[in-house]
Amino acid sequence: MTATDPSSPRTSPRPVDGEGKISLTLRVNGSAERVRARPNHTLLEVLRNELHLTGPREGCGVGMCGACTVLVDGRPVSSCLLPAALAEDHELTTIEGLEGPNGELHPIQEAYVEHTGFQCSYCTPGFILATKALLEECPDVTRDEAKAYLAGNLCRCGSYVKILDSVMDARDRVRG
Amino acid sequence: MIAEPRHIVPPGMLDANLRVRGRVPYAIDVVLPGMLHAKLLRSPYAHARIVSVDATRARALPGVHAVLTGPDLAARDDIFPYFGPIFRDQAVLAIDKVRFVGDPVAAVAAIDIDVAQAALDLINVEYDELPAVFNVDEALEPGAPIVHDEPRRLGQTFADIIVRAEADTNVCNHFKLRKGDVERGFAEADHVFEDVFTSPPVQHVPMETHNCVATIEAGIIRVTTATQMPFAVRASLAEIFKVSQAKVRVTTPTLGGGYGAKTYTKVEPVAALLAQATGRPVKIHLTREEEFVTITKHGVKIQMKTGVTKDGRIVARKSTCLFNTGAYADIGPRLIKNGGYATGGPHYIPNVWVDSYAVYTNLPPAGAFRGYGVSQAAWAYETQMDMIAAKLGWDALEFRMKNLLEDGQSVMTGEDMFDAHFKELLTTATARIGWDPAEEPRRNGSKVRAKGFACIIKGTVTPSTSTAAAKLNEDGSLQILSSAVEMGQGAETALSVLAAEGLDLELGQVSISRPDTDVTPYDQGTSSSRNTHSMGTAVGMAVADIRRQLLALAAEQLEVDPADLELVAGRVQARGAPSTSIAYGDLVRASRSGNLLANSVYASKGGLDPETGQGIGSVHWHQAAAAVEVEVDLATGKIDLLRYHAGVYAGRIVNPVQAELQTEGNIAFGLGQALFEEMVFDGGQLQNGNLGDYMIASIEDMPQEISLGILEHLESNDIHGIGETSLPPAMPAIGNAVFRATGVRITDLPITPEKVLRGLRARAVEESAE
Repeated sequence: MTATDPSSPRTSPRPVDGEGKISLTLRVNGSAERVRARPNHTLLEVLRNELHLTGPREGCGVGMCGACTVLVDGRPVSSCLLPAALAEDHELTTIEGLEGPNGELHPIQEAYVEHTGFQCSYCTPGFILATKALLEECPDVTRDEAKAYLAGNLCRCGSYVKILDSVMDARDRVRG
Repeated sequence: MIAEPRHIVPPGMLDANLRVRGRVPYAIDVVLPGMLHAKLLRSPYAHARIVSVDATRARALPGVHAVLTGPDLAARDDIFPYFGPIFRDQAVLAIDKVRFVGDPVAAVAAIDIDVAQAALDLINVEYDELPAVFNVDEALEPGAPIVHDEPRRLGQTFADIIVRAEADTNVCNHFKLRKGDVERGFAEADHVFEDVFTSPPVQHVPMETHNCVATIEAGIIRVTTATQMPFAVRASLAEIFKVSQAKVRVTTPTLGGGYGAKTYTKVEPVAALLAQATGRPVKIHLTREEEFVTITKHGVKIQMKTGVTKDGRIVARKSTCLFNTGAYADIGPRLIKNGGYATGGPHYIPNVWVDSYAVYTNLPPAGAFRGYGVSQAAWAYETQMDMIAAKLGWDALEFRMKNLLEDGQSVMTGEDMFDAHFKELLTTATARIGWDPAEEPRRNGSKVRAKGFACIIKGTVTPSTSTAAAKLNEDGSLQILSSAVEMGQGAETALSVLAAEGLDLELGQVSISRPDTDVTPYDQGTSSSRNTHSMGTAVGMAVADIRRQLLALAAEQLEVDPADLELVAGRVQARGAPSTSIAYGDLVRASRSGNLLANSVYASKGGLDPETGQGIGSVHWHQAAAAVEVEVDLATGKIDLLRYHAGVYAGRIVNPVQAELQTEGNIAFGLGQALFEEMVFDGGQLQNGNLGDYMIASIEDMPQEISLGILEHLESNDIHGIGETSLPPAMPAIGNAVFRATGVRITDLPITPEKVLRGLRARAVEESAE
C-alpha cells in the first residue's frame, strides 16, 4: 500500500498560533471536524489525539505495517505518513465510520467476526479498511489476488488464514 | 481436572464485535486530564562510562515538566532505582555505565511528544567509551571487557529459579543437567556426531509497542500498562519506590500482542518516577525503533554431541549452550535452564549432560520470547537428527520413531514421561505431506521440491501459581476475578467457557475481569503457554466451591439431600424431578450474603535439583510436530513453502477456533524465523531496527497449503498449552526440507537465499574437484 499524494489546493501560508499550530478542517466519517495541529503532525496523530478516534493505530511509523490504515477518498492510506494538512478536502473514513449509527456491523466486519479473522486485533481496523477498498476496486477478487493486495498489512499474531477466509466471505456478502 | 461432561464450544472470541469495530481499548488509548508525554534519551555507545549528564537547558525549555537522569536517581535514598525479575541489574536510567546502544540515560516529561523530543536534544551527556563485547565467544575469553563489574544484586524471585552466577566474568548464569553417565554413553555409541548450531537474536514485534500511563495520587502509584505480568510489575514498582505492594496498583487492558516481550518490568518505572516528579499523569509509548532494543529473543550458539548405536538408538548427548543474554539479565537466567534442558529433545536418551550459560554482552537485553529457548534447542537437535540419518543412510522418520519418548520412559530431567503423543503427532504430520523416504527431490527447471519434518518437546514453568476468585450474584450471573492477561490468545473466552461449564451457565452469564492488582487475585503471569491450564484450573476450583455452596443452600431450601441434586441451566434441581428446583439467584438471596464468594489457589509442584537438573521439569510436557514441503529456486536461492502441517497435542481443546489461530500464528512466526528474521548489528548498533528493514511474515509468505492436526485426548483429563508449542518445529522442519531439496545443510538461522546459493556454489566446487 502506498500513501496517496493529495496536493493541497491552498497556496497562501496559514496563520500559526502560539503553540506553532495551524487550524484544519477534516472531513472524517461524514462530518467536518475543525482541529489544530502542527504542520508536521500526521493524520494519524490528529485522528487519535485531537479527534479521539482509537481505531487507527501506530504500528511502525514508517508506512510498512498498515495498522494505521484509513481510507482517503476510498483508497487505503497509511495515516502515519500523511501530513494532516494534506488530508483536508478529502473524504476520510476510519473504522469508526464503517459501523451503523447503533453500532451495527458492516458486512465486512460481520465476516471478520464470523471467521475470527484476528487475535489481538490491533491490526484489524487496518485489515478491514483495506478489505473495503479491495472489494470496491475488485468485487470478484480471488484468494490469490486478495493475498497480494493485503501484503502491506501485517498481523504479527499471524491470523492470516482466517483473515483470508474473512475476506472471501466478505466478498460474497458485499456482492450479495 | 474438569469433571463436567458438558463442553461448551465458543464462537471464536467473545468480544469479537468490539474488536472489529476498533473499539476494544488498549493501554495506548488511555488519556488522562493533564497527562504529560515522556521520551527517553538513549546511549549512542555500546559500552561507556557516563562522565556527566547536563540537563539544564532541557529543563528550561517551555513545556518541559521534568527531566530525570541516572545520576539524579542514584543520589536519592528514597528509591532503589534498579529492576529485573532475578538480578536487579538494570537501572531505570543508566547509572555509572551504559551497556548497549539504546540504553536509556535520561527521561523527559513534557506537555506533548514534540516538546519532549526537542528537550532530548538539549541534554548533554559526556561519555568515556569502553571496549565492548558482542558475541558469546568474545565475552567468555579471559580478559574480555566485563559488562557487569558490580556485585550481582539477586532479589526475590520465582520458585523455580536456579542461580549460579560467576563474579568477575560475563557469565550471568549457568544451568547444569547431569542424567546418567554421559561418558559411558559415548563409549557405548557406535557413532558420535558433534555439530554447532546458531540462532540469531530476533524481535517479538508486537504491533502495539511497550507503553503505559502512570500517576501517583494520595500515595498510590497507579499504572495502566501493556504487560503480560501485572503482579511482577507491581512487585518491581513497590521495590523501586520502597513502598508496600498494596500502595501500587497495576491495571492491564487487552494487549496488542505480547509473545513474551511484555513479560516483567519494562517502561513502568520511568513513567512512575516521572509522574512522581511532575505530580501529573505521564504516558510513555515506545516507537518501533525503541521496541527493537527493549527486549529480544536470545541469540545462541549450541554445541551438540550425540552418540548413537548402529541399530539407531541415541545413547548419549552432551550440549553446551551459550545464550547471548545481552546487557541485562531480564529472565535470561531462567530461560537458559528451559532452553538448556530442552536440548535433551523428545527422545529417550539415558545419558544427557548439559551446560547452559546466559552470557552478558553489550547487545540489547534478551528475554522471554515465544518458544522460550526451546526454538533454539529444537533447531539444534532436530537439524542434527536429520544430519545423523543422512550420514548413516537411515530413514529420518524411522530414526526418530525408534527414539521418540513413550509413557514411562524418563525425559531429560529424569521424570517419567506420561501422556506421550510424539509418535502419533509425527506419524500424522509426515503422512499429511506424503512423506516417502524413497522419494527423490522433484525438479522442474531451476526449481526443486522436497520435504522435511521435526518433532519437539517443551516444558511449562514449574512450579507456578495461579489464583482466582468467583462471585455469584443475586441475578444468577457469575463474575470471575482473574489476573489472566488477554493478548489475543483468547484467555477471557477460554476462562469463560471453563467457568460456565462448572455451573452449567450460558457464556453470556459469565464475565471475566481484566487484571487489576487491587482487585483481582495473584497470578504469576500470562506466559509459558500456561494460562488455560493454570488459570483454567484455578477458575475451575473456584467455581467448584460455588457449586458446593449452591448445593448446600438448595438442599436446605428444597429439603432434598445434596447428593440427589444437580445443576441444570442456572437452577439447582432434584435429580429426576425438575419441578423441584430453584434458581441460583434465589439461592444467593436466600443466603443473605449478597453474593456467593469463592477463592482458589492452583500451585503446581516440581522443580529441578540445582546440581543435576533432575526432578520435575514440567507439570506436563507440551508436544508438537511439523512437516513441510518446500520449493527452492536453485538459480536464486529463494524458498517457497508449498505445504505445511502443524501438529500439536492439546489434551482437551477448549476453544477450537482459537486453537487453530494460535497454531496458524506459530506457522507465521516460525517461517519468519526460519527464512528471514534476524537482528543485524554492527559494532553493537542495530542496523535493521524498523519494519522497513526488518521483515516479518506477511500474508503472502504463508504456505500455499496449510493443515492442522490439533490432537485431542479427552481421557487425559488435562488441558495442554498450545500458545507456543507448535512454533519450535517450524525452523528445523523447513531447514531439513531445504537440505533434501538442495543438499545444502544450513546450521545457522535464518535460511536465507544467500546462504543457499553459497552452499550450492561450495558443493559445485567440491564436485568439480572430485
